[in-house]
Amino acid sequence: MGFLSPASFYLFAILPLLVLAYLARERPRQAIVSSVLAFRALREMRGERFGGRPRFTWWFFLELLILALAVMALAGPYLTRPAKLAAIVIDNSAPMQARQADGRTRFEAMVAEVNDGLNHGEGNTRVNLYLIAPTPHQAGSFSSPDAAVAELGRIHPTDAPAPPNAITGLVTELLADRHVDHIIVGTYRPFEAPIPPHVSPVVVGTAVPNYAIGSFSITRPNLGTDIEEGHVELGNFARDAAQLTVTIAADGKPVAKAQAQVAPGEVTTLDFANLPAARVYRAQLEPADGFPLDNVAYAVGTAATTFSVLFVSPITTDGLSLRSIPGVTVTTRTPETYTPEDLAGADVVIFEYTTPKELPTTNTLLVMPPPGDPLFNFRVTPSAQLRVTAWPTTDPLTDGVNFRLLNVRSGEYFQQHPWMRTVIAGADGGLLLTGERGGHRFVATGFNPFPYLGRQNLPMSILTLNMLGHLAGFGSQTGIFRTGEPWIVPAGVSTIVLPSGKKLPTTAGAVFTATDEQGVYRLEGPANASTRAVNLFNLNASDLENLAPLKVEAPSAAAPTTAPAVRQPLAAYLLIAILALLTLEGLMVYRARKPLIDA
Amino acid sequence: MLELPPELTPAFLARLEHLRIRTRREYAGLGKGSHLSPRRGSSLEFSDFRHYAVGDDFRYIDWGLYGRSDKLYIKLFKEEEDLLTYIFVDASASMGHPGRDRKFDAAVATALAIAYVALASGDRVMLRVLGGLGTPPPSAFVYGRHRIVELGRALNAIKPAGEVDFAPALARELISIRRAGKVFVVSDFLALLNSVERALGLFTAANMDVSAVQVLGAAELDGQGLQGDVEVVDAESGERLRVTIGPRERRQYRDTLLRLSHQIRAFCTRSGLRYALYTTDLAFDRFFLHAATSLGLVH
Repeated sequence: MGFLSPASFYLFAILPLLVLAYLARERPRQAIVSSVLAFRALREMRGERFGGRPRFTWWFFLELLILALAVMALAGPYLTRPAKLAAIVIDNSAPMQARQADGRTRFEAMVAEVNDGLNHGEGNTRVNLYLIAPTPHQAGSFSSPDAAVAELGRIHPTDAPAPPNAITGLVTELLADRHVDHIIVGTYRPFEAPIPPHVSPVVVGTAVPNYAIGSFSITRPNLGTDIEEGHVELGNFARDAAQLTVTIAADGKPVAKAQAQVAPGEVTTLDFANLPAARVYRAQLEPADGFPLDNVAYAVGTAATTFSVLFVSPITTDGLSLRSIPGVTVTTRTPETYTPEDLAGADVVIFEYTTPKELPTTNTLLVMPPPGDPLFNFRVTPSAQLRVTAWPTTDPLTDGVNFRLLNVRSGEYFQQHPWMRTVIAGADGGLLLTGERGGHRFVATGFNPFPYLGRQNLPMSILTLNMLGHLAGFGSQTGIFRTGEPWIVPAGVSTIVLPSGKKLPTTAGAVFTATDEQGVYRLEGPANASTRAVNLFNLNASDLENLAPLKVEAPSAAAPTTAPAVRQPLAAYLLIAILALLTLEGLMVYRARKPLIDA
Repeated sequence: MLELPPELTPAFLARLEHLRIRTRREYAGLGKGSHLSPRRGSSLEFSDFRHYAVGDDFRYIDWGLYGRSDKLYIKLFKEEEDLLTYIFVDASASMGHPGRDRKFDAAVATALAIAYVALASGDRVMLRVLGGLGTPPPSAFVYGRHRIVELGRALNAIKPAGEVDFAPALARELISIRRAGKVFVVSDFLALLNSVERALGLFTAANMDVSAVQVLGAAELDGQGLQGDVEVVDAESGERLRVTIGPRERRQYRDTLLRLSHQIRAFCTRSGLRYALYTTDLAFDRFFLHAATSLGLVH
């Protein structure tokens, strides 16, 4: 026997209060007598003499018993008895949403079969329920199969894929637990023989021909334009070639349509040029199939005709020169007045002669950053006359730049950087580095391209526009956020609205894990709001035709674990006993209720 | 016989007919009777001498005295009259408690037995009830043994109730009584001793011959059957008292009650009053016949 809240036994300390109450309380019966004359000679009632002997009548012991039972009930007593332990591993990944020929989803069919496979009659069977998407985890522990099945009815498959080897890894771990008597695995993937004796696979569904969108991205080809480009990756997981059609809708309005003949097992890409600027893009793949989730994809655009730059520098006038670029708005800050909240409205942030104290949550250009800062850890070699020695001809950053005419004057050479690559090399190190961190692009220059002089310094102006275009275009891509993958909450965001409309409060810098839904998430803060598209984009999950079997091997020796037990709570019985005793006392009090006794 | 208490059986009544009331004084009555009266009369009881006057009956001349003194004296004799008997029955609420003791019934039986003795002796009886609910008995004297039924019927209609302050109540009764006589007071006398003394003292001051009959219940003497913690409520005053009653307290209570009774008896003895105590556990006929002398009844 055990107790859920043993601390409640401290309440036994109130039992002496009952004795005190009996010592002090006045509950004598009344009796009419011929005269109280002779009674006056007697001492006063003992019960009214503090410290006198209490009247330990059966009332007292009954109430003592009721009080003790109440304290016991608060302590949550339970009986433990050995139990069989069953584990149910449920595949709730996105492919379980695929519909079968009978109209049910794979998940619904699997839940029904698992329900049939459980032995509901065994009252001492404890059931642990595990889900594998977005990551394997225990969803609950239930005292009976019926309770587990009831919980199963409340579970829905997610839009997220399961991690590779999630099922095999979890089942192997459960097989290592010698107290697990039975493991039921419900999934759509077949098992490879031999299957360990304790494992009962419940495999649902058959091979389903499926067409899927592997990715959908929106990019802006040129800086200062409001035209977007779309790129859709298509996969054909059917036995036959198929004519696949993709329709793009911008803010709910169809704006483009394209077709492609895709061979079985092949992946192809459709490009959409000249898409109008919009906040949300939706790609719809046709023909429809049994797995509609991957026939739809979302992307978000900048939806802005202007391009906002935050310029942080001790010399803020350098940044003002960017205003001569059409569609560019510039906000300036000195390093002392800069805060991460200033990034909220910026498409690109430029740090000149300075670096931020934490990684910016937008694409960033670092101009001649000071060496040795702990965040970027640049190591530089200053030079009075920089000299460009090498540059790639196909890189968008160097596209159209005449390096023979480019005069970078004085500056610094970058030494090897841990995560940024050199794009423009100089005589003594890199002059322009680029890299990605935290889902954003970073560019660092060892020379100062500012002030922006336009046609007066055309090579440097083209290079500046390339850098800004490179940094601006990345922010509108949608392909990087996948269902089930967590992100870091950007600065200035306090609430995230899920595609279902549910609002979740959050804080900047926190890891956001509620990414199981495919759709557009709205990131809201006190100052601004932005959107983020999250999609399945997992062609392995979309391939419902060629399913690799799962291979589970029984471990050689089971590791000892804590013996499972079924807890039989006793609080309800104690409450019934308390009610019965209270009723008994009530009846006795009613029967004994004589306000005046004729002595 | 239904109007009479069950204690007054025919056999008991027959024995009562052999009794008569004896007073310590002579009281003038309202008619001829068997009690010497202070009035001159024709009884055999010598009273006094006076000088012979013309017209006196020669038969009453004391010839012996004439021989010694050579003067004629007439012998005077006392008159024999009936006795005016007043019976006061306490019908206050205390007489109804404890109920099982039937104290009021015992008081009624006692009063009727005394009344029957008086009526059977040719005396006049006035029955007065102190307190109680119901029609009071006739306020005038009754005469003749057959009137006992009328008295019994009247007392049967009375239920003990109410609070009676003994001294003022008896004082009011005394005012309405114009002639002295024998007084019987039947009560539990559960009042403060000075109140009882003042009440009985009123009668002695009015030249009455008083007999007090105290009726106490057997259960009443035994702690009124109470046990443990009790809030006792006075049946008359409503006064409440919380006590714990155990064997020791019950003995203490009994001793107190008996001490009160002894004090009343001592007062009666000192004041020339008659006193008898009746506890209801005794058979009524045995009590009455044994206490007859104490009550002033003689054969």
